[in-house]
Amino acid sequence: MVNLTIDGKQVTVSKAATIYEAAKEAGVHIPVLCYAKKLLPYGACRVCLVEVEQMKGRLIPSCTTPVSEGMVVITTSDEIKKVRKTVMEFLLVNHVLDCPVCDKGGECDLQDLTYELGATSNRFEGEKFDLPTDEVNPLIERNMNRCVLCGKCVRVCDEIVGYGSYSFINRGFETKIATAYDRGLDCEFCGQCLSMCPVGALLPRPFKFKARPWQLKEVDSVCGYCGNGCTVTLGVKDHKVETIRFNDKIGVNDGNLCVRGRFGYSYVNHEDRLTKPLVRKNGELVEADWDEALQAVADGLSKAQQGQGVGILSGARLTNEELYLLKQVAKVVGTENLDHSGGECYKGVTEGLKGALGVAASTATFPQIEKTNVILAIRSDFYETHPVVGMVVNQAIRRNGAKLAIVADKKGKLDKLPGAKTLLSKPGLELDVLNAMARLLLDEGLAQTEGIEGLEDLKTALADFEPSQVAERTGVDLETLQATARQLAGAENSAILMAYGLPYQGLNKELATAAANLALLVGIPGREGSGLYLCGEKSNSQGAIDLGILPQNAGKGAQQMLDAAAEGKLDGLYVVAEDPLSSYPDRDKVAKAFDKVPFLVVQDLFLSPTAEQADVVLPAASFAEKDGTFTNAERRIQRVRPGIPSPGEARTDGAIFSALANKLGSTVTFTGPAAIFAEIGKDTKAYAEFNFNEIGPQGVVWGGEVLQPVCKKVVAVSGGSSVKGDFQLVTGSALYHSGTVSTKAKGPMAVLSEPYLELSREDAKALSVVDGDLVKVAGNGTELKLKVKVGNRLPKGVVFAPYHFAEANVNRLYKGEPVIAVTVSK
Amino acid sequence: MFKEFAKGLSITFKHLLPGHSTTVQYPTVKLKPSDRFRGLHRLVPSQDREKCVACYLCPTVCPAKCITVESAENEKGEKYPKVYTIDMLRCIFCGYCVEACPVEAIEMTGAYELANYEREDFQFTKERLLK
Ligand code: SF4
Ligand code: SF4
Ligand code: SF4
Ligand code: SF4
Ligand code: SF4
Ligand code: FES
Repeated sequence: MVNLTIDGKQVTVSKAATIYEAAKEAGVHIPVLCYAKKLLPYGACRVCLVEVEQMKGRLIPSCTTPVSEGMVVITTSDEIKKVRKTVMEFLLVNHVLDCPVCDKGGECDLQDLTYELGATSNRFEGEKFDLPTDEVNPLIERNMNRCVLCGKCVRVCDEIVGYGSYSFINRGFETKIATAYDRGLDCEFCGQCLSMCPVGALLPRPFKFKARPWQLKEVDSVCGYCGNGCTVTLGVKDHKVETIRFNDKIGVNDGNLCVRGRFGYSYVNHEDRLTKPLVRKNGELVEADWDEALQAVADGLSKAQQGQGVGILSGARLTNEELYLLKQVAKVVGTENLDHSGGECYKGVTEGLKGALGVAASTATFPQIEKTNVILAIRSDFYETHPVVGMVVNQAIRRNGAKLAIVADKKGKLDKLPGAKTLLSKPGLELDVLNAMARLLLDEGLAQTEGIEGLEDLKTALADFEPSQVAERTGVDLETLQATARQLAGAENSAILMAYGLPYQGLNKELATAAANLALLVGIPGREGSGLYLCGEKSNSQGAIDLGILPQNAGKGAQQMLDAAAEGKLDGLYVVAEDPLSSYPDRDKVAKAFDKVPFLVVQDLFLSPTAEQADVVLPAASFAEKDGTFTNAERRIQRVRPGIPSPGEARTDGAIFSALANKLGSTVTFTGPAAIFAEIGKDTKAYAEFNFNEIGPQGVVWGGEVLQPVCKKVVAVSGGSSVKGDFQLVTGSALYHSGTVSTKAKGPMAVLSEPYLELSREDAKALSVVDGDLVKVAGNGTELKLKVKVGNRLPKGVVFAPYHFAEANVNRLYKGEPVIAVTVSK
Repeated sequence: MFKEFAKGLSITFKHLLPGHSTTVQYPTVKLKPSDRFRGLHRLVPSQDREKCVACYLCPTVCPAKCITVESAENEKGEKYPKVYTIDMLRCIFCGYCVEACPVEAIEMTGAYELANYEREDFQFTKERLLK
């Protein structure tokens, strides 16, 4: 700690602090422009100049100067004021006077500082900038005439996003921020740069001229897409979500978002949203009122339950409170067939982790990743499914020198981070690589074996996983494999990351078990600062597991329900917030199930392909219309708050469940989400310690920052198997999308609007195809036509197709296996 | 004392003489209000559009909250008011909008004859205000 005096006030701060930070702590205001809390000190603008008695004779930039013992700082004097005003005059020499038409007006740091520092006239004259604006990309407008060269966009894109779109070019008055070769921006479109820009040089295009900042009502909620659980602050005007506001004050994401969170909100305003219940009459879906529709559902479900039974399939984007009510509905109907998210994808957590550690969740929280020394990611798609955790990984590497290794069948964004090594294995064989690492740890005596059960069995099972043999079999570089395993063992703190979701069903349990084994052998679970992270694809995947939206007792899981329905052995299906026809593996089976099942109810936002098959369709509400909680992939329970009313007669899923339960004869009613949350604690003990109304801005983490494992048991897993074929198809997530709902959002669709088949340059050359050509992909008895996208990510012989687009029918090829043998031809 | 009375009354009587009256025969005769009079608003046109750039300062400053602006982008990519309406029934003629406008796009004219038969007729749309 260091003591210093700022404007006569005694302050004690950590020795890593800068003068600006010390002043902030002491409540002394110093104006800043290029400073940003989450970026490294830079010192570009000189607005923050102060006097330091020990450094007389010049003014010192407070945002870059570290404090030292006994410093005496003066933040305002006539000279300082004069100099700051001159700095403003310089900044304004070339700045265009666009304020009336500039969307930043009203929250522009340059405007505020001009006012604060009293720069009412300018002693200098210069030509105003007259550069063309960059409106090539659909999401971010770049108007360099308004840029003040603070460098925040350059820094955030490099330091946090790890993409590196921008840099300064030219000198003197000509200096500007440009992309490579000064072309239009083409990047991840996470929008971090525009959230950092203090002026109107970078602005969100979808929000262009929509409103003034002071007209927006801000509602803090949680992103409805992935399990990262980023805080999104809805900017609402006239009952419409117009934009997502920058907010680094609350939540776990430090104001960082991905393209889906920042630009993917528009599906909530989509004109195709369902506004009235639909009931099938004479083969046609026709509008009905709620009473009629709910009665039809209640009658249909009761009848089906008396017959061969009802199955309930849920999505993982309902709030915890709604999931609880859904469970009540299942009870009232009397069915034990309850499941979510296709039933297979979360088994890594519920069976894999549970078997090894006795807990069914990630063992640590996301901010801890930044402090780790070694990070192992399983499957390269982790960045694509959970981009903002990926940014934390980037910060761990850049700020703390962490080493990153990725075990995957293809390369991805993570591979581009500094020093990252991808252990590129043949598809389906990642499991073997993990096993080989475990074997190496045991062989070399690096493993921590104290208090770990099942070691002998594991040793026997690992007989076939001699690292050199595995390296040969999987195609992984032996030295990298060895080095990674040794690094993991030697690290003070390490993290193992894996994402799960609908397109990653194959070998889920096995991969999670192997990851847990590895984690146990290097002592991760329960250790402060280290963590094993199994991250769900959807915003409340963890909540669905915590609340037990799983087969009850002897009930059927999702796949068994679909099997039974396809065989005509199930009489009713209630599908909530899911579009299995578009997103579940094995579309033909799903289609058959929906075809055969006598009574199908679908509750969704849109008339999805699944909803089109239904007997009753109930219009539901989006996350922006709900009050409740989501539990993210690090077990953080956060508040979701309603920003807008639902369109037409649409109701929240919770309201529908309550009404339906009452129609079915239940007498239980709740006064609101707080009451339900209290009720959840009775079944889900981990939630019992929290009070809904006391969930603060950072949420609450059940089980604590570090979740202690209940047991430590390594479990033997056999290896994977590769497939033989001309090409090996893997499916997964694309960065711009999450699930299927993002295909209804303008932002993500503007960047990636179509399904595609990604293949390596070599393969493209051999097939003589280029970007945009149509190719036939055949396998599993089906043939699809997809547009080609040539990329650097894939090794020869491997092709990738994202699963988000219903029209692509990728799930007719993909039946849940880790990899599919296909042929690709022109 | 009588002198003072006579002096005072002489001023009064002088006004009774023809040519000294201040009352005008409205509506046949109309006075021209002062240049600073705050009457009906007028949106100032520029070459091919209104000068207003839909900056929302006037609806923000308006104490009677009677101005409705909706901004949009025109073909040239410029910001313009798709909707600009003043509800004259609520306007208190304070002139703050004129003062707030950064581009001098709104001014107040001498027009004070604002009576109407229908409520809707008090909604002065962009087209009417541009006249
Ligand atoms: S960046 Fe700020 S100062 Fe510049 S035109 Fe926009 S609002 Fe005005
Ligand atoms: S949107 Fe994201 S990736 Fe693109 S330039 Fe901005 S910060 Fe970089
Ligand atoms: S574009 Fe914005 S963030 Fe980037 S340097 Fe210019 S003012 Fe700073
Ligand atoms: S999609 Fe996930 S990573 Fe992106 S903003 Fe939403 S919660 Fe964050
Ligand atoms: S203040 Fe002027 S430019 Fe702005 S909206 Fe009103 S009339 Fe238009
Ligand atoms: S804020 Fe310190 S130099 Fe810009």
